[in-house]
Amino acid sequence: MEVIDIRPALAPAISFACSAMVFLLGSNRFWRSFWMLSASTLKLAVVLSMLPSSLQGTVYVYDLIEFTPGIGLGFRADALGMFFAAVSSTLWLITTVYAIGYMGKSEHRVRFFGFFSLCVSTTVGIAFAGDLLTFFLFYEILTICTYPLVIHNETPDALKAGRKYLIYTLIGGAFILIGTVVVFDAAGTLSLGQPGILSHAAGVHTLGLIFALLITGFAVKAAIMPLHGWLPSAMVAPTPVSALLHAVAVVKAGAFGILRTVYNVFGVDLLADVGFTVPLKWVSAFTIIVASLVAIFQDDLKRRLAYSTISQLSYIALAAAMLTPLSAAAAIVHITNQAFAKITMFFAAGAIQRTTGKTNVHELAGIGYQMPWTMGAFTVASLSFVGFPLFAGFITKWYLSLGALESGEFWVLAIMIVSSMLNAAYFLPIVYLAFFKAPPGTTLRVAEARPTLLIPTLVCAAYVIALGTMAEVPGMPFSLAKAAVRFVFGM
Amino acid sequence: MFEALWDNRDYVAAVVLFCIGLYVIIAKDNLIKKLLGLNIMETAVFAFIVTVGVVDGGEPPILGPGATPPYASPLPHALVLTGIVVAVSTTALALSLIIRIHRQCGTIEADELREME
Amino acid sequence: MYDWPHWLIVVIVAPLLGAALTPVVSLGDRRVAPWWALGVMTVTSVAAVMLVMRVSAEGPFSYLPGGWRPPYGIELRFDEFSASVIVICLIGWLAVLFSLRYIEWQPGMAKARVPYYYALLLLNLGGMNGFVVTGDLFNLFVFLEILSISSYALVAVSGERIAEMAAFKYLLMGAISSLLVLFAVGVILSVTGTLNMADVARQLTGSAHATPAVFALGMFTVGFMVKAALFPVHIWLPDAHAIAPSPVSAILSGLVVKMGIVGMVRLYQIYNTAGLIDLRALNEVLIWLGALSIVMGAFFAIFQDDIKLMLAYSTISNIGYIVMGLGLSTHYSVIGGVVHVFNHALIKAALFFAAGALIYRTGLRTLTALRGIGRTMPVTCFALSIGAISIVGIPPTAGFLCKWYIALGAFEADRPLFGFALIFGALFIFIYYIRMVNAFYFQQPTRPEVLEVSEAPASMLVPTVLLAALCLIMGILGRVPLAFIEPGATRLLAPLGG
Repeated sequence: MEVIDIRPALAPAISFACSAMVFLLGSNRFWRSFWMLSASTLKLAVVLSMLPSSLQGTVYVYDLIEFTPGIGLGFRADALGMFFAAVSSTLWLITTVYAIGYMGKSEHRVRFFGFFSLCVSTTVGIAFAGDLLTFFLFYEILTICTYPLVIHNETPDALKAGRKYLIYTLIGGAFILIGTVVVFDAAGTLSLGQPGILSHAAGVHTLGLIFALLITGFAVKAAIMPLHGWLPSAMVAPTPVSALLHAVAVVKAGAFGILRTVYNVFGVDLLADVGFTVPLKWVSAFTIIVASLVAIFQDDLKRRLAYSTISQLSYIALAAAMLTPLSAAAAIVHITNQAFAKITMFFAAGAIQRTTGKTNVHELAGIGYQMPWTMGAFTVASLSFVGFPLFAGFITKWYLSLGALESGEFWVLAIMIVSSMLNAAYFLPIVYLAFFKAPPGTTLRVAEARPTLLIPTLVCAAYVIALGTMAEVPGMPFSLAKAAVRFVFGM
Repeated sequence: MFEALWDNRDYVAAVVLFCIGLYVIIAKDNLIKKLLGLNIMETAVFAFIVTVGVVDGGEPPILGPGATPPYASPLPHALVLTGIVVAVSTTALALSLIIRIHRQCGTIEADELREME
Repeated sequence: MYDWPHWLIVVIVAPLLGAALTPVVSLGDRRVAPWWALGVMTVTSVAAVMLVMRVSAEGPFSYLPGGWRPPYGIELRFDEFSASVIVICLIGWLAVLFSLRYIEWQPGMAKARVPYYYALLLLNLGGMNGFVVTGDLFNLFVFLEILSISSYALVAVSGERIAEMAAFKYLLMGAISSLLVLFAVGVILSVTGTLNMADVARQLTGSAHATPAVFALGMFTVGFMVKAALFPVHIWLPDAHAIAPSPVSAILSGLVVKMGIVGMVRLYQIYNTAGLIDLRALNEVLIWLGALSIVMGAFFAIFQDDIKLMLAYSTISNIGYIVMGLGLSTHYSVIGGVVHVFNHALIKAALFFAAGALIYRTGLRTLTALRGIGRTMPVTCFALSIGAISIVGIPPTAGFLCKWYIALGAFEADRPLFGFALIFGALFIFIYYIRMVNAFYFQQPTRPEVLEVSEAPASMLVPTVLLAALCLIMGILGRVPLAFIEPGATRLLAPLGG
């Protein structure tokens, strides 16, 4: 059931207005924080207010502009979009609190917070995009708005990383744009409101071209190997940005694009017929393993997290490529699971860096004595990635494995197991180091991070546990993911 | 082939003249000579247009006592007159530019000017 | 109101007459000249608005000056493509306003000569108005010469040595191309015995003289290609557009090169209607040259440090888009190409105005020197950024829909390669603009004076901001020009069965 309602357009508009207020009136710290916090709360409220009816299958639509018949900007809050929007709005609020604490009195804060809000605005725009063109538009704006955040420190390293980021993502964007044009030429519409707009009538070559263009384009931001190069370099950004980039906005936008391509542009039936997803499966599986292997050898904590992100994102691509309902549920729900766990880790890394100045793994020996809460949160997230039951990551792996059994692809199980072991291999040593390898003479002298850093970290960690233990509770992300799956598979 | 060319020798002459002018513009370094090349091209086009209006045995298209058809077409003459006015103004502008270039650079040889840049 | 028949002659005669009178009215006080020019352009703009209202209500219409019927008299014909007059008048009006302060400051410009500058500007605008509304081939040539010769002179007004060299180079290339056009007009006259475009098309239909018609088409095309600065005959453009005073650059880059395009559209109208020659070979040439222009223009633009030089190269790239759109000859691509004629004019004028304002305040024109200018001239830099994202073609700005339509045309015509060329050309340009935004906002100033300047004066800010706003508005209301141009494009392609 479709209902015309302004809320899908309102949600990005709130963040946008907030960014305008920050740019115009943001030089005062109090007002800046006020605008940021009130806007993120308001937006979360708007998104959540749509949640109950969205679970019932209601879709809110709002057409903003129509340039010319068939081409325009429109918003549409379906279950999949709601899912992504809810994650990003929640994390925006939490990250805002964290960022206010983290940025403290550093340079260019107005610019930082202004673009930060713009990024979130565009992320929700991506989530609620009603057609491929709107999607592309917000996707590109996201690219541009993230750039000032990556180069925030204005060091030569940062500028270089920013350039690399732009080159990767802009070329990816060009692929998506060409793909969009071909889709319009082949299907006559760009709507993302159906389970698939393309059909066999377009011809297998055109379909192959579209799939290659769109997936390649999205794979850049989703950091699927070998298109991942920008992500570890972009780690020079301040930690809240890394958290935003790696857990919420940028990489998830890429992964979300892959989901939209598979479920709404092609549709699972068509893709199952033509079999384009086989190479995607292999590439994602390759990325899952290789990125984990690379992560083991990273000493810089943030870089290790970056490679872990690359590995984790390919779970989404792999699960989407398997085209079964259970794996689809895993793909969708992994957006949340990975986001909360990874953001917990980044928050912890940032808190450690701000409190002690340490950025490398080998320096972390005994840090658990000094910052037990922070490292406790970190441990929760690690266990989630390893796939321990009761933590969020377990849900993903469980449904992904069920999906693999359903479609008879047992090699995916092997990938799951190897990946879990590798996750353990690069995260658990950190935990071990922090709690059990205290240098001689260390005493339990708690010097925790300041509350604005600590509380968001703990909230996220708590939510990771909630996601793992209460997945079936209505209103939790998993129920929404199932609503999305029902629509996609026509169940 | 040759017969066709000979029949249209006036057109051929115009094209040859046009090409000579173009050659001069490209090959000569002196700006004045380039301008002369342009003038040659203009002349070629005017000559061509005037010959278009010729009618075998035609009289000048002037009404008056003793005028008998057929007349030559008057239209091309009007065109060429306008064209000459345009050509003169182009030449005048070009000459004034050359004078100013000479004043500032002391030379009007294109290769020397390029070196100065 | 709009059906007063004489608006069509007003739109030509007002600026030309105004140009002739400018030195006279400013005899007493030379400061009268810009206000006089502004007044003249206001009258012309009113006429242009009336004409566009009439054509959208009634479709194309003709005007016969002095009541002489074609083929004896000269016919003025106003169709959808002639609606360019409204863009010409708008940008002309704003350029006069912009010149108010700029030209007084322009180094090398003697104060006493200022009235002549405005006279040349009006002459140029009048020539363009005439060019787009005439229905007569020779008249087309005459207006082409009026606008070209005044352009050569306008390039040279700054009086720098390099300006005169650039103007001379422009003059030589321009004069050769004009002569090619005149030669072609002569050939057409000899074949058909008429100069009225519609009549020429009729006479050519089923004519036995296909060979001379092909020659004429070739000469016309090469002539107009030089005027439009298509690769590889673009060599005159970068210097001329970069060195001219900024308001002139806006007119040259936004409007004057487009006259070559309008000329090509007129050719298509004649030859498509006549159906004497298969135009596929010409289309092929235009597509390839268009694609090359897109890529080469964008490629050279990336390496420029001088902002105006970079804008000039980006013009070459954008001309490539338009020509490719025409060459693809599909419904979508022609509409997109023609609308891009209008939109690119707005965008490029906005960019040149903004660049001009920066140069006026700082005296600097390279990206390196202008680092950090976003802090002191935020409004100008913001307008420049809007223009930049617009020219790259990011929705919802004016540049987007045209490029979308042209790309769609490429796929419609089963030529995906050119769709790729188009989008990657845009990407190249994007990289440059990011460098620019980077320099303005994020990099540390290299020159201290950059931090001491103040925002541009109102007479410059108003045109710049207005055009930047139009870039956005034309994007959001993109379907208005598309719908407006559609009947014209359909008629253009109708004889092809497309």
